Amino acid sequence: MVEIVNNHSMKKSFGKSLLYALPMFLITFVFITGGKPDFSDPAGALAILVTFLGMNILYFLMHYTGKTDKFRAILFIIFALSLSFTLIKNMVAIRHSMSFSQADIIECRIPFCHLVIPMMILPAAFTKSIIFPGTILGGFANISSMVVLWLVATIVLGRGFCSWGCFYGGWDDGFSRLRKKPVIKRISDSWRWMPFAVLLMVAITAALSLTPTYCSWICPFKAVTEFEQVTTVESAAKAGVFISLFLGLVVILPVLTRKRTQCSFLCPLGAISSLSNKITPFTVKIDKKTCNECFKCVDVCPLFALTHEDVKNGKVSIFCSKCGKCVDACSRKAIHYGIKGIPAGDMKNFSRNIFLFVSFLFIAIFSSGSIITVLKSVFNLFI
Amino acid sequence: MKKIKIVLGIFWAILCLIIIIVLFPGLNSFSSGVSRLPFMKINPNFTGGEAAEQIITESCTLVIRKPVFDGLIGERKHGFVQLDWKGKIPDIISDTIDYDMDRHPDFSIRINRSESSTILHAMNPKVKKTGISTPTSYGWSVRVKVVK
Amino acid sequence: MLDSFILGLSSGSTCLLTCGMVIFPYLMAGSAGTRKIITDLSFFLLTRLLVYFLLATLAWYFGKTFLTSAIFRNYVSGILYILFAIMLVWYSVSRNRKPDCPAKIVNTVNNKKLVPVFLGVVNSLGFCPSLLLILTKSATQGTIAQSYLAFLGFFAGSTLYFLPLPFAGRLKKKKVFETIGILATGLAGIIFMVKGITNLIGGILNG
Repeated sequence: MVEIVNNHSMKKSFGKSLLYALPMFLITFVFITGGKPDFSDPAGALAILVTFLGMNILYFLMHYTGKTDKFRAILFIIFALSLSFTLIKNMVAIRHSMSFSQADIIECRIPFCHLVIPMMILPAAFTKSIIFPGTILGGFANISSMVVLWLVATIVLGRGFCSWGCFYGGWDDGFSRLRKKPVIKRISDSWRWMPFAVLLMVAITAALSLTPTYCSWICPFKAVTEFEQVTTVESAAKAGVFISLFLGLVVILPVLTRKRTQCSFLCPLGAISSLSNKITPFTVKIDKKTCNECFKCVDVCPLFALTHEDVKNGKVSIFCSKCGKCVDACSRKAIHYGIKGIPAGDMKNFSRNIFLFVSFLFIAIFSSGSIITVLKSVFNLFI
Repeated sequence: MKKIKIVLGIFWAILCLIIIIVLFPGLNSFSSGVSRLPFMKINPNFTGGEAAEQIITESCTLVIRKPVFDGLIGERKHGFVQLDWKGKIPDIISDTIDYDMDRHPDFSIRINRSESSTILHAMNPKVKKTGISTPTSYGWSVRVKVVK
Repeated sequence: MLDSFILGLSSGSTCLLTCGMVIFPYLMAGSAGTRKIITDLSFFLLTRLLVYFLLATLAWYFGKTFLTSAIFRNYVSGILYILFAIMLVWYSVSRNRKPDCPAKIVNTVNNKKLVPVFLGVVNSLGFCPSLLLILTKSATQGTIAQSYLAFLGFFAGSTLYFLPLPFAGRLKKKKVFETIGILATGLAGIIFMVKGITNLIGGILNG
């Protein structure tokens, strides 16, 4: 018997939404302010207040409207922009430039990011050392903290880290939403395996050369963070590569396809995170009893995680980042957040509520620092 | 069996919830713990190797580091030796270096800081050329490429 | 010969970095069994050995002139890398590719053994650092026999790094690994293309 589904079955009443938002309200208050709000700096206090309220309003709206993706994307994109702004501001203040010099490498002053992790593994196993000129502990973006954050987020969220944690993903997520309809509609599903090929190449080359080759040569986000000083032909070639990749995969292709092409076709960390979808309890499930195979979820998925075959089989692929776009798009609520062990179609609200709490809490705390820094800089101009 | 799976799934999900709540307050402790793992040190190809000798003069301190030949498995044939000048270093640096501690000079180096020029004179066939020569926050650093 | 062998061992990882990035994706992208992979790898290595002997002859005769010209090295390696890169990228994106033929030009020749031979020739002529080292050594030998022995020792040392490669072929039974292999071949091509362009520009600027 086919269940007749209310289009807005994930919606909650105003009071119920407030109740669900209350734990997030309390925990984010404690984590963001440290439990001791400081009003001595007006710009700082206002920045904290705006950030805190903004985040909790988004979370409330997720429950009240029953929609996930657009509210997640707002925070996700703001996080990406604020992180870049904060990093560039720090670099310019310390070095008067977005570029880093040989001295920065010798003195191991390069901020660490999670994209280095795939390249670290083999060298760490063989040489018992980290092939990155950063700080192990202390300071801004130290290696230990980033490894812990990424590892825990990956175990808990799986590839959900790519939509609820990665501070680069917001760039191509944002550009992918600029057009209402895609210009390029058909892209072969085979390309979604490209990150594994990239992972293979960077892991081998990094291990053999003992340098983080993805960071040196390929990472497109050097365009919005920091990059090597251009003093030689090689460094100029590197600059050409990352600028081209940023423009191509982060800006142009996402605009034309409405897909997150950098995350889908390049990121080697995405490949590892895809594998970690096997261990996280959270997943997206397809209720075949309710599904009418309209394939709207396939069209909207930004990471090529769904194919027609996947929908017919009732199984989402390992590429799913749990962004919620397909869940919001499905008119029959046949595709929904789920927990492994619970059959598809059962306990949809419970699964969604727990997943939203876990994932939103992570991104809220992770992003709060950089968002507050940006807002403080803005408010300082007026106060 | 179905009920056991459901219970286990919910249990794992709630455990993840607890993990995320504990993550941020405990981040400093977890990071300290991770930093003590045996592989959590920066590769010498970036740090420049351990200090082998310090020569203290009136104005500055010269640190001669052990040559770095670290490879993925074993050592490479080509490496470098890093020299650090720290403190109040003069505009013109001129030193003769014995990096392998065999009491024979291996190379002499002359650095003109204002012109950013570095001249290397090799006295040992194992010494090849200057790699990096750069001002640093503590003074000046040079990496000289050497072979084993 | 012993120091050449040790040179090959110590420099072999660099050789694998350049040559392995080519042969490894190629092995994964085909559809043949382990025996064919070993055959292909054998032809690849044999071709490298023959080319090395040719280089040993040239190095002994002309060595000092070519080794001192960095500009010549940049031009040759740049052009070779770009040519090789185009071949690899063509293989990965070509709709008409046959399972174990990396380039359309090789499809016109029925002899499938030509593919690893072609790869072996082009890789041997790429001026990777380890090759420069052995060329330098070879050019300083007194007789041509000593030059050949130096290259033989180097070849033996560096070949040890390629021995595990046939076992990578077991993975390619599944279509997904084949897809990854094809994509990795194209990526290797792009890497060589960038390297080639960088070398060419460096050669032009220094020239």
